[in-house]
Amino acid sequence: MLDIAALSRSYDGVLVVDDVSFQVVPGRLTGFVGANGAGKTTTMRMILGVLAPTSGEVRWDGQPITATRRRRFGYMPEERGLYPRMKIRDQLVFLARLHGISREDATTRAMELLEHFDLADRAGDLLDSLSLGNQQRVQIAAALVHRPDALVLDEPFSGLDPVAVDAMAALLAAEAGDKPLLFSSHQLDLVERLCDDLVILSQGKVVAAGAVDELRGRGPDRYRIRLDGADAAWIRDLRGIEVRDVDGSTALVDLAGVTASELLSTVVAREPVAEFTPVRQPLSAIFREVIR
Amino acid sequence: MSTHTPTGRPGAVTDDVRGAWRVVAEREITTRVREKSYLYSALVMVVGVIATVVLTSVLGGRPTDYTVAVTDGAAASVVSASSDAVDRADDGSSAAPRQFGSVEAAEAAVRDGDVDAALVPKDGGYEVIGDSEVDSTLSSALTTVASASALLNNAEEQGVDLDELQSGSQVTQRLLDPDSDDAGARSAVAFVFLILFYVTAVTFGMSIAQSVVQEKESRIVEILAAAVPIRAMLWGKIAGNTVLAFAQILVLAAVGVASLAAVGETSLLSAVGPSIAWYILFFVLGFVALAGLWAVAGSLASRTEDLGSTTMPGQVLLFAPYLVAVVAGETVKTVVSMVPVVSAMVMPSRLAEGGVPVWQLVVALAVDVVAAVLIVRFASRIYERTLMRTERRIGFGEALRLSD
Repeated sequence: MLDIAALSRSYDGVLVVDDVSFQVVPGRLTGFVGANGAGKTTTMRMILGVLAPTSGEVRWDGQPITATRRRRFGYMPEERGLYPRMKIRDQLVFLARLHGISREDATTRAMELLEHFDLADRAGDLLDSLSLGNQQRVQIAAALVHRPDALVLDEPFSGLDPVAVDAMAALLAAEAGDKPLLFSSHQLDLVERLCDDLVILSQGKVVAAGAVDELRGRGPDRYRIRLDGADAAWIRDLRGIEVRDVDGSTALVDLAGVTASELLSTVVAREPVAEFTPVRQPLSAIFREVIR
Repeated sequence: MSTHTPTGRPGAVTDDVRGAWRVVAEREITTRVREKSYLYSALVMVVGVIATVVLTSVLGGRPTDYTVAVTDGAAASVVSASSDAVDRADDGSSAAPRQFGSVEAAEAAVRDGDVDAALVPKDGGYEVIGDSEVDSTLSSALTTVASASALLNNAEEQGVDLDELQSGSQVTQRLLDPDSDDAGARSAVAFVFLILFYVTAVTFGMSIAQSVVQEKESRIVEILAAAVPIRAMLWGKIAGNTVLAFAQILVLAAVGVASLAAVGETSLLSAVGPSIAWYILFFVLGFVALAGLWAVAGSLASRTEDLGSTTMPGQVLLFAPYLVAVVAGETVKTVVSMVPVVSAMVMPSRLAEGGVPVWQLVVALAVDVVAAVLIVRFASRIYERTLMRTERRIGFGEALRLSD
């Protein structure tokens, strides 16, 4: 379990990360979202120890984190970078060894990842001779090459085409296994699709954190009612609900005092009902709501 | 501490972060030795050393085999007898007679340069004939031997006891500073070493700075810093490049010694041999002391182009002792030969010239070691503060004021 405990960071007196606390639970993909400049990258850098926090600490299984523990983390920084004039296999082996893996194990693992990315035949090529897409793949391999105990990925999906996004998502799900995995992204639909947990950051503060289902459940219970042909305007007169919208035979209502089954029986008693559906709020709506 | 075990194979993971610098050092060495430009520059320096030794030998005190024109048997035996004296005066040299029919023929041979001089009878003795000059070694050997043999002949004719005649005339020589006749050659060697050391120190110093800035420029520095403590990267770079610089100096010294031996400069070799060890020791200490500053120069830059200005202090620190070693007087040299980093170039050249008190040597070594430790520590702090600031170049003053 990765525990971020009251992390703060200021630059020249300006607080950019303000008392941020959340947990990254093993086996649950945790999404980290927030507007540009919200402090996501700064927080991730502090988790990795690349940046010293002004106050607060990072804990692993309840203990303050050590350099040895961090060495077992996998990190993909927002600013991508590898040695441009180094052969990609040598590069991956070097990084794995830097993370404390033996040379033999590192070589096996590097080739395994390169094969996974269909780059095995280019293992001896210099990084800068590869296409940008392939360079991005090597970058991902670099974060995974030492079989990390935890993964922190800053915008891992940026710059990927839809097919690559799916491949990346599948890979992360497979690699994460029962490890803590935190990744940041601007693509809310993607986060919604992939994540189990969510942390929303706004102006350096955590404005929402928890399971995605739970966060979405926070909004009002909203239902869409479609009558079988009849005009739905009369629904406005019902008590115990708040009507959001009426359009022809369709009404959008929030429950405010009655249960869903009570509402449904009231409506069915007057008109035949073609559709009665709970409406889940999209993440983007929650996001807009909490960062306001 | 957690008991959570990594998913990697058991035993495959070394949890000791302290060993990480070795991996960094290894990469520094392997990437460098694979560079063609590095190999070429090393090759040029090796060729330079060989050329210098050969040239010095050719232009300097190379053994000469003198040929002297003679017209009679007596002169021929004088020349043969003087060969020993020539050899004593100039190691490995010899003198041999060549018979000519007349004085005129001998003179012509001298004029044409076929022989080095001529020894012809003249009333009451001999005459040494040269073209524009007679080599002083040859001339004094011929003169001494000719007059001694004439004296002995006369004495014998007069019935004088030869032993008695010679008694008390034996003069032997004992040198208090037997190496001083090599002084010129030795300061030439010191100068060559100075240049080689300067070039090697700048080459590998720049190599440290470049390796640091390339990591900043390519942004891989963030992955590296997340993997291992930043200090481990600094130590790895210093260690790797020191090993390379040391190896290069060792190779150059070995090539130098081998080529001195090959051209037969054995007396010069025995004079400078021991001081080469001092050169190498001081060089390594001085290089390590400066290595931290080179790394800082790299961490202050944001692009390779910034290195020109950020490496300036390192370049000046290296060039100053070079100047001092070349132009300074004895007193200044004595003082600066105990100043750290500067001593790397000045002290060994003083040692090569001889006459350095032991206490000065000890002080120079001790101060150098202390300075190396302090500078690397100081550099390590600056390096940690500036390495992650990739957006622009940072000034030295600013770096000192930065907080963590």
